[in-house]
Amino acid sequence: MDYTWHFQIVWDYRAVFIRGAIVTAQITFWATLIGLTLGLALGLMRRSEMVLLRAPAATFIELFRSTPALVQLVWIYYSLPILTGLQLSNTASVSVGLGLHAAAYFGEIFRAGVNSISKGQWDAARAIGMSYSQSMRRIILPQAIRRMIPPFINEFASLIKLTTLGSALAVYELLHEANNLINSTYRPLEIYTVLAVAFAVIIYPIIYASQRLERKWQLRQ
Amino acid sequence: MKEIMIKARNVQKSFGTHQVLKGIDLDITKGEVLAIIGPSGSGKSTFLRCMNFLEAYDFGEIWLGDQLVGYRKSASGALVKDKPARIAAVRARMGMVSQNFNLFPHMSVLENVIEGPIVVQRRKREDAVAQARSLLDRVGLSAKVDVYPETLSGGQQQRAAIARALAMNPEVMLFDEPTSALDPELVGEVLDVMRALAADGMTMVVVTHEMAFARDVADRVMMMDDGNRVEIDTPEKIFTNPSHPRTAEFLQRVLR
Repeated sequence: MDYTWHFQIVWDYRAVFIRGAIVTAQITFWATLIGLTLGLALGLMRRSEMVLLRAPAATFIELFRSTPALVQLVWIYYSLPILTGLQLSNTASVSVGLGLHAAAYFGEIFRAGVNSISKGQWDAARAIGMSYSQSMRRIILPQAIRRMIPPFINEFASLIKLTTLGSALAVYELLHEANNLINSTYRPLEIYTVLAVAFAVIIYPIIYASQRLERKWQLRQ
Repeated sequence: MKEIMIKARNVQKSFGTHQVLKGIDLDITKGEVLAIIGPSGSGKSTFLRCMNFLEAYDFGEIWLGDQLVGYRKSASGALVKDKPARIAAVRARMGMVSQNFNLFPHMSVLENVIEGPIVVQRRKREDAVAQARSLLDRVGLSAKVDVYPETLSGGQQQRAAIARALAMNPEVMLFDEPTSALDPELVGEVLDVMRALAADGMTMVVVTHEMAFARDVADRVMMMDDGNRVEIDTPEKIFTNPSHPRTAEFLQRVLR
């Protein structure tokens, strides 16, 4: 079978890909910011001795981990306005939705990371008179964060790929732009190939940097 | 009459249904070195950890000077758990050295020592660094100021941990089996530092299996067994003529 590849078409429409990549990057940025902030709070709440903090955090985390991200996005976009009157734009819905989704996973990463630090470190911090928050900030988290880097990068890479779900809400991220292009050019193979390469080009450097960082920190510990 | 530094009255503690401390009384005077000995599981480490409230005792009272440790008396006279900030403040007056050193691995030796003074006591960095350097010199680590703990031997790590505790200018030093995790050839260097500290007049409570140290350095030795204080006396009396058969039996076993 002979198929003639026409990558020239993709090059002609490069502006479309760049536009899509920018939206993908924006969604990733906001989702990561929300995910990290809320995730840290959730992770710490879930370790609390107080059930009033622990229970809501556990409920949130398990709810978001056990339901499909696509359903979460659709739900936030269509149901939130009905229930609260709060209508977010489609891009904002995806950013917030993926942010909440990521928070559930980041929260578990934080919790596992903090739990992995030996009890002796808490003892040593408390023995010199540190409060809970001083111990956490100065002693526990700096050590725990190093151990969180590999699972965090995993989650971050999958978060970038989850932004493609935005196409379901008509957000002009990479996948949606690519699909539109396919409809007008009938060149799905070329366009999806370039799309895959585009994601690899975004994600691989992050994975590489994290591996370097991990190795550097290992030398120190 | 010498000033009482730590006063324990009827201290009790249970883990679940297992009672590990069954009512300990103890007075430690200022400048005294007290060694606590006894078989493992006798509650001696738990008792030490109750002194700075790393472990919360369930009943009784522990006083550091005129400050009740970990609790305050309510209007009705009952003991209620003290505020975290007040518990932290009383802990900062006691130095603790544990079996596993527990240096902070992400900080250099110097950073380990200045951490408490700067973060907890809010002292000036230059002052904390100057004091840390002189303390590290005193424990023989002036060449290791800027290295990370993992590069140190166990004995060096433990001496760094002693310097870290001393940097808080504690009123009393608590040692929880400070040489138990060390290779035998490294025990001596840590005991030497502790000896020098005792000679300087530091009040010390030392949970230890080093009978020679207890005999030579301690002013008094307390024998514990099964959550009880079996006896407390001078080392001469304990090691040559213990009044309790349990002590004699224990010493016979460990001294062989």
